Amino acid sequence: MIKINHLRKEYANVTPLKDVNVHIHRGDVISIIGPSGTGKSTLIRCINMLETPTSGSIFVGNECITDKKCNINKIRQKMGMVFQSFNLFNHMNIIENIMAAPMDLLGKSKQDAYDDGMELLRTVGLADKAFNYPDELSGGQKQRVAIARALAMEPEIILFDEPTSALDPTMVGEVQAVIKELAKKGLTLMIVTHEMRFAREIANRVFYMDEGGVYEDGTPEEIFDNPKREKTIRFIKHLKVWENLITSKDFDFIGFNTSLEEFGRRNQVPQKTIYRAQSVFEELGVQCILPELDNEFKLSVAFEYSQEEETLSMTLKYDGKHFDVRESTNMISLAIAKNASESIEYTQTQEDGFTNLVTVRIK
Amino acid sequence: MTIEKNLNGAELNVKVIGRLDTTTAPQLEAEFKGNINGVEKLVLDFAELEYLSSAGLRVILAAQKVMNKQGEMIIKNVNDTINEIFEVTGFIDILTIE
Repeated sequence: MIKINHLRKEYANVTPLKDVNVHIHRGDVISIIGPSGTGKSTLIRCINMLETPTSGSIFVGNECITDKKCNINKIRQKMGMVFQSFNLFNHMNIIENIMAAPMDLLGKSKQDAYDDGMELLRTVGLADKAFNYPDELSGGQKQRVAIARALAMEPEIILFDEPTSALDPTMVGEVQAVIKELAKKGLTLMIVTHEMRFAREIANRVFYMDEGGVYEDGTPEEIFDNPKREKTIRFIKHLKVWENLITSKDFDFIGFNTSLEEFGRRNQVPQKTIYRAQSVFEELGVQCILPELDNEFKLSVAFEYSQEEETLSMTLKYDGKHFDVRESTNMISLAIAKNASESIEYTQTQEDGFTNLVTVRIK
Repeated sequence: MTIEKNLNGAELNVKVIGRLDTTTAPQLEAEFKGNINGVEKLVLDFAELEYLSSAGLRVILAAQKVMNKQGEMIIKNVNDTINEIFEVTGFIDILTIE
């Protein structure tokens, strides 16, 4: 239904979308999640051309909407949009807000627009507010009106840009309930949201966005229970990450340990765990691995702490010859490291110019 | 790391405070090299030793070897964390820990 090929959006100082390639099917309900600034809103604003892509193409059905000849207003009639900030017309009452577009753009009679509008207000539970003005409604009610207004155009697709993030927490549920009803009706929905439980419950597909594109695309179970890619895992598991790249054998070891300690304290990692992490790094990284590396080398160290599971893991990536640190002849260092670890795994890799990957779960 | 030493006749008491690791172990090694001659009893006080790595263990082992020839070496006030390191590396069987 929507095909996005090599979509790129650049601004003067930032490129939120570098290369987006996805195919959205009719009836898909897609939750779009990811850290701030990863282009989630930019993506859906490009889909209805509120933002003009820098390059790439977007097809809605057979129409290429990025083509200059395309009549985008016609396409937009099939595509509703619900914004974070409601965007209702404050000088019109609620039913007028809903009737305006169907009368202007679909050519509906006033009576039909009114009858259909009232029906929609009933479905979002606000028929009794038809003659109130937006200022007299709560945030949650305004957003439900905005959804009814989008529905009045009988769209095939509705795009939601963080529909609940401007709402008082007590009003989030009522808006989510309305969106869930729409999902059951078979409409194609794309929802940018920071509400993870909602994202999971409503969708049949989840886009995790990062690095300028749809970084991982899967079912809610795949993304939330079994994410495969590194950044998705960090995001889903609320991992706190501390990274360091070492390129000299005379690196600042004291600074490294101090900084690791600060990271631990900031994230409430138990002192004993920090101590063990320092011990494992010193024994495996400094004592076993560094002597095996060439004069020019890179050794990447990352610690990831899951506050949910209260687990700390360390990843060491290094270049040069393949060297399984578990086979080091430095028995003393290995004994200390093993004692401070639940597990030490080694694999050969080709990721980012590294050749070796060691993953340690700290005790 | 801070080292406090006290020579009383042929008995040298060395208190190691802080972290004995890759960067600080050479400092302790230098202390031993300069002061261990003629010492018949070397006492290491680890009451305030917070962290010990293999680099520190090697210095302790070297001192033990020297003292085996000229007298004895005793380690005292070892806390649980440091004792665990001695245990898992087998050093507990080589050293005299009080």
